[in-house]
Amino acid sequence: MPGQPSHDGTETELAIDAQDVHVTYADGTTAVRGATLRVERGEFFGFLGPNGAGKTTTIKTLVTLLHPTDGSVRINGYDTVTEPQAVRESIGYMAQETSIDRELSPRENLQLTCELYGVPESEREDRIAELLDLVDLEAVADTRSETFSGGMKKRLDAATVLVHRPPVVFLDEPTTGLDPEARLRLWEYFERINERGTTVFLTTQYLEEADQLCDRLSLLQDGQVIATGGPEQLKSEVGVDVIDLRLADATDEAKQHATQVLQRLDAVGDATVATTTGGVTVRSPAVREAASEVFAALDDAGIAVESFDVRSPTLDDVFLALTEGSTEESPATGVASLGTEVVQ
Amino acid sequence: MSDQSANAVQRASANSPATDVRVSFKRWLVKTARNPYVTFTSLVQPIIFLVLFVEVFGAVSEGALAEVFAGDINYVTYLTPAIVIMSTLSSAAVSGIGLVDDMEEGMFEKVLVSPMNRSAMFLGKVLSEVARIVVQTTIILVLGYVLLAVKTGDSVDAYLQTGVAGFLGVIGVTVVFGGVFMAYSNIVALVTRDQEATIMLANLLTFPLVFVSSAFLPLEVLPGWIETAAVANPITYGVDSVRAIMLGEDVMTVLDVTAFGGLWNTVVPSIAVLVGCLFVLGGFAVRLLRRAARADVQ
Repeated sequence: MPGQPSHDGTETELAIDAQDVHVTYADGTTAVRGATLRVERGEFFGFLGPNGAGKTTTIKTLVTLLHPTDGSVRINGYDTVTEPQAVRESIGYMAQETSIDRELSPRENLQLTCELYGVPESEREDRIAELLDLVDLEAVADTRSETFSGGMKKRLDAATVLVHRPPVVFLDEPTTGLDPEARLRLWEYFERINERGTTVFLTTQYLEEADQLCDRLSLLQDGQVIATGGPEQLKSEVGVDVIDLRLADATDEAKQHATQVLQRLDAVGDATVATTTGGVTVRSPAVREAASEVFAALDDAGIAVESFDVRSPTLDDVFLALTEGSTEESPATGVASLGTEVVQ
Repeated sequence: MSDQSANAVQRASANSPATDVRVSFKRWLVKTARNPYVTFTSLVQPIIFLVLFVEVFGAVSEGALAEVFAGDINYVTYLTPAIVIMSTLSSAAVSGIGLVDDMEEGMFEKVLVSPMNRSAMFLGKVLSEVARIVVQTTIILVLGYVLLAVKTGDSVDAYLQTGVAGFLGVIGVTVVFGGVFMAYSNIVALVTRDQEATIMLANLLTFPLVFVSSAFLPLEVLPGWIETAAVANPITYGVDSVRAIMLGEDVMTVLDVTAFGGLWNTVVPSIAVLVGCLFVLGGFAVRLLRRAARADVQ
């Protein structure tokens, strides 16, 4: 029985059950306006949105750091407002800011979190060794962490979240500001803990990250969940195909010209045309069939195409399609960024 | 409870409050011991002050001391209580820095989201600072005696009239006095949430306040306005009670109390003033801390 409290001894399927959560700060700012999230045990769930969409406020509400102004949150069957202690005992939370004690070594930081969570003394040594191995910090286990790189600190932070083997972990933009290699290592680590049965709730502004890691995800904009589903499902629901065109002349004027030409083209139907760093991108349900018309139109207008790519949509395209016409900034794209800029 | 069923959610086991206090105490003690600033303010600075002040002011202050005290009191014995209180002040006044640090580094939130008892978390930190003050006071008292013995060959009896009970009394006074300024520092930290402001307001306070008190010379020989200001200065009460215990006589001039007899005429009213300050400031600090740790947004 999903969503039911577990006090009667029945199993709760839902690791996270947030019903119509609203959060308004004391200064009157409403950061979350009606977020409903249902995450099953063992899922790798993504929470995706641009800066300022309310991701951090939502995650802080889920981990008992904030109380919802309206609505309710149950984590592992426990209410975050009336049973915060039980929630705290059954979760791990990695904040957006790296939270480690820089004056302590990795081993001491892990020791401290073992003590905070009452991990039995007989198990501490093994768990600490296992976690140091998992995040690849054995070599510096007894060095004070203040000199570490951002990536090493993040990995240590991630390890401290797991000392008590929580059934659910919350990760708030864990890879922001990391170089691609450090990011890949953290991804691997999160996948490993998810494979061990841990429910993972991850917020990110990197679409590629969500695409790669998540079983399901919710898109958040302006404090509201605008779509929820598996990455493939979301992509197919948008129902568009995409042509990326690289122009021989990639000046702003040339790109603007190409944009105008393509927007007037009937064959592509209801298309979204966006400029990219090297040319333009056309998103439309009909674009695959109309590819030859696109090239003909550009040729007629005297615009030379250097290369092109007809592809299926990415989450980036999903996000743009869902937020089309809004003035909100689009989320940053992943490692292979297109640098897309919405025109229409 | 669901905890017993096979499919139950795994939960960490919460510690007893006493264990939580110990965990926090240990963490802050390790951090304190590793901080080079601590070694400086707790050890190097008192030595420098004690030796320099004795060398520079020792000769000229003899007249002033003779004017006020009937017996022959060496300036080392007179000054040591001031150095004890000054060092307690420097240690206590930086208490808020650790708190701001924790907030900036996310450790504050990390502890809040853990099952740890909130009061225990702060109590552990406070106890580590109290431990530091106890150790530091002991060191300075020993140092003062060594200096006196080297200069005059006086015995311990002449230095600390009240013996072991007096030593424990001095420790007790520094703990209460330290508590007042720990509370002050944490209030500044919680209001500004800024490390630099917390350090600045600690330093701003330490020096002028020490001079506008009975710390370095008897108030009788100082200008009238200092005597007036010293009445409202907690340092006067801290220094006077430590000095009364060491000299075994009533040394307080800011308040005229005669009801308790001997050194108690100084110690009782002084401690009453300090405990009063501790309750007011401590209560305010606890309120601010509670608010900082609370989950309400509206």
